[in-house]
Amino acid sequence: MELVFENIPFFLKGAYYTLYVTVISMFFAFIIGLLVAIARLKGPMWLRMIARFYVSIMRGTPLLVQLFVIYYGLVDYGVTLGSLTAACLGLSLNAGAFLSETFRGAIQAVPKGQTEAAYATGMTPAQTMRRIIFPQAVRIAIPPMGNTFIGMLKETSLVAALGVTELLRSAQLLVAQYYVNMPFYLAIGVIYWIMSIGFSAILEQVERRLARAY
Amino acid sequence: MKSRKGWTLTALLLMTVLVLSACGSKTTDNGSSNGAQANNELEQIKSAGVIKVGMMGTYAPYNFLNDKKEMDGYDADIAREVAKRLGVKVEFVSQEFSGLTPSLQAKKLDAIISQMTITDDRKKVLDFSDPYITNQVKIIVKEDNNDITKLEDFKGKTIGVGLGTNDESYLRNEVLPKVGDFTIKTYDDVISSLKDLNAGRIDATINNMYALKPIVDANGFNIKAVGEPIKSDQAGIAVRKDNPELVAALNDALKGMKDDGTYNTIFKKWFGEEPAQ
Repeated sequence: MELVFENIPFFLKGAYYTLYVTVISMFFAFIIGLLVAIARLKGPMWLRMIARFYVSIMRGTPLLVQLFVIYYGLVDYGVTLGSLTAACLGLSLNAGAFLSETFRGAIQAVPKGQTEAAYATGMTPAQTMRRIIFPQAVRIAIPPMGNTFIGMLKETSLVAALGVTELLRSAQLLVAQYYVNMPFYLAIGVIYWIMSIGFSAILEQVERRLARAY
Repeated sequence: MKSRKGWTLTALLLMTVLVLSACGSKTTDNGSSNGAQANNELEQIKSAGVIKVGMMGTYAPYNFLNDKKEMDGYDADIAREVAKRLGVKVEFVSQEFSGLTPSLQAKKLDAIISQMTITDDRKKVLDFSDPYITNQVKIIVKEDNNDITKLEDFKGKTIGVGLGTNDESYLRNEVLPKVGDFTIKTYDDVISSLKDLNAGRIDATINNMYALKPIVDANGFNIKAVGEPIKSDQAGIAVRKDNPELVAALNDALKGMKDDGTYNTIFKKWFGEEPAQ
């Protein structure tokens, strides 16, 4: 255990990269998810098809494969991304697909009567979406969104394969230095756990804020 | 309603700032790898002022993280010395061995200094400097195991080896057809293969003695090397293909080290003996 305390600064550096990749990917995944969900619900036929295809690919292939395609594969076509960029891009695209399903479900979960009532008051479809449907859908979407985000936090460990010294890789390096496994793997387990508790807490706050209107 | 809007706006702003700052660091991260299109890669490295060297970082005493959380070991010292002679700084990237070659080819690295054995197969996709070390590879078994003393005894057993290493292709392509069926279990680093050997999850592994000593010393593993060396390997600095200027510069640096005794000093520092001639 002493070894773990001695190496906390090193773990924190790893945790920083884990957090960095997670937060940036979350941001873009959120935007992608929202756009894709709307495209699938309201878009013209061809756009719906593209969106469906995208979601199908991202959900149907392992994230590690996607990361390898982006990091190692794209180079053959002249696109050379840094490891952090590739990691963020891969995670955003992947989580975006999952989030789009969350958002789609949430939007569809808002009763149809709400839309009809909004139309009856003379709102345009865009206004209805923004003022009536979204505020309700967001509340429904938060718990499953939390799932995706926390899942993503843990999946960042795959980024070690792209040469980013994030949490998992820091533990591997320390194991190689001290030749003990358990304390280091337990330590990063705890760090992941603490970070996911942090994210849950933030989401809970958001949920509470959004509920205030009621 | 109003307060909520304000909050969302703040959150959005915060996110944007975060993302922008991230983009900033991302461009610098790309900038160094693309750089100005100089004539050849040696020039590019020199103008960037830094050579990106890939290594496992989990292979003491060759390359590992020291107490100060810096890459250290025989490979790291060689890399630093070579970089010094090229007049550039060295930047280490630690990655699993099997990922090193893809990273080099994808131009994420300039060179690999991680006990990469010079083989004909690898020469098809990489170029190597002159060898900077010769390693003897032996069979390693548990202390109480007297069934395995030579390669022929591998039949029906489970043998551990590093994924993507020269030892792996040696087992697969040369030993397996000759000896008959045995299971090959691959690992990302040497330590986990030795732990598994000690725990009895594999029957034997092959590796070189320099690599084993620190691990065995630190763990009190009950393992031993048996029989004669099954092969001896030479490791070199790997770089991308068709890069003659860089290879020549690396060879010059290595030769200079050998001539002025620096090489011997580094060798003795890590292995406690003079390099074999």
